[in-house]
Amino acid sequence: MEDQGLFSQTGPGREGRKKMIPMIHPASFKDPAGFVFQKEGVWYRQVNKSGLPDMETLFQSGLYDSLVAARKLIPHQRIAENLTASKEWYATFLPEQLHRISYPYEWSFSQLKDAALLTLDLALLAIEKGMILKDATPFNVQFHEGRAVFIDLLSFTRYDASKPWVAYRQFCESFLFPLLLEKYLGWNARELLRTHLDGVPLTLTAKLLPWSSRLNPSVAMHVFLQQKMANGKNVSTEKATGFSKQKMTNLLLHLQSMIRGLTWKRKTTWSDYYTDTILDQAYLQEKEKVFLAMLSKIKGKTALDLGANDGYFSRLAARNGWQVVATDFDEACIDRLYGQIRTEKIQSILPLCIDISNPSPALGFAHRERDDFTQRMKSDLVLALALVHHLVIGKNIPLPRLADYFAELGPTLLIEFVPREDEKTKVLLTQKEDIYTNYTPSHFEQAFGERYDLIVKQAISGTHRVFYLFQRKEK
Amino acid sequence: MAYWLLYVDPGSGSYLIQVIIAAILGFLFYFKNLWWRIKAFFRKPGREEKEEKK
Repeated sequence: MEDQGLFSQTGPGREGRKKMIPMIHPASFKDPAGFVFQKEGVWYRQVNKSGLPDMETLFQSGLYDSLVAARKLIPHQRIAENLTASKEWYATFLPEQLHRISYPYEWSFSQLKDAALLTLDLALLAIEKGMILKDATPFNVQFHEGRAVFIDLLSFTRYDASKPWVAYRQFCESFLFPLLLEKYLGWNARELLRTHLDGVPLTLTAKLLPWSSRLNPSVAMHVFLQQKMANGKNVSTEKATGFSKQKMTNLLLHLQSMIRGLTWKRKTTWSDYYTDTILDQAYLQEKEKVFLAMLSKIKGKTALDLGANDGYFSRLAARNGWQVVATDFDEACIDRLYGQIRTEKIQSILPLCIDISNPSPALGFAHRERDDFTQRMKSDLVLALALVHHLVIGKNIPLPRLADYFAELGPTLLIEFVPREDEKTKVLLTQKEDIYTNYTPSHFEQAFGERYDLIVKQAISGTHRVFYLFQRKEK
Repeated sequence: MAYWLLYVDPGSGSYLIQVIIAAILGFLFYFKNLWWRIKAFFRKPGREEKEEKK
């Protein structure tokens, strides 16, 4: 079953009822075998009677144990109580709770690639134990403690070796095609996953991919030949016969090696911001000193780093015990940070591609299947370093509006003001008419003063930049 | 029809393409194996270990 947003801390609406009555997650309606619900702030999964045979096979075959031991599947604890009082009830599971929910349209290339490889890996391991994945959507994968993990128990079903993979098209459209589009077009295909929640359609992919991609035999088969088949007349979906376990394994292994070989390289102006710009070591050291001094004054667990760039300050926060979501609109930065997190096994940073001037909206049926970014990412601390000038001058967002939005995201704000005298701001102003007469330290302090109380203010010596630590005014 | 078929739409032609791709892959793997056997047959006994390390 599709598992979007299933363990998010804040279920949409119904705050008053949430504590007493189990609240079924609004995205959890597609699979009749069970659903996810929240009770007293904790997320559970119910398996219905119709899911019984698959669930028994999952546990009795040893597949569940081996997947959890390999940290490929989130651990679930069985609860012997029918918490929903439902007649369909067969079992209740308490999964290890996730810190954050993120969606594929917020992941970088390597994150989507890892989610794809995990899905294929699970399908291959399942086949060995007489099971298969009945769906293949990236919403069944989450990034938990630094790595991709599968969260849906109900995706596993008993395997009929005579049939091809029911989820093949879904796998192609939601994993393979977006990755191919990113590779061949060098452009953020994850944005297409925002509009196409079930995956980028085969027909669209075939139209968007350049002609040269046909020269790759794997692309020719999985995209263009498949497109031809889909358009063919009298194609019955059930008719295909003569499939076997060996053929299925070959197909999955082939998809795996194809996806492993996909690379994506893009250098942008931002990916080397701290390493080779005018911002030298002395500046960085000074900034780090001020940052750490301010951080030590704050109590809390969760931090949201907006405009994280290479994640330098996210890492500092993580090292000081914070659970950090590091966001940037530049996919190259996030992709690199994710790579470092994987190699260095950092568990407390979740990197996400977010354009803060256009964050992920609420999506799906009745706007309730996928929560918006703001809803999911509320944190104790909001970091906005070297960001304000981009939003005010680059995107024309007025300072008071910015203060309003940051205040919505969390009670404490650590923000860097980059004034118009700064080199970076000057660069932004060279291409535009200077209509930003209000972009001054005093107006900045006034605008944020409406929403926040100032705790500390500290200039970064040798620059015109100033750090502010703000505490939200509670009404 | 199996119960799970009702949950996800396999997509038009997606079974047929899998049968075709699996056939192509089977064909390729067959010749790959054959090629390795031919290579192994002509390989001089003394060089066997060296080849494997590669």
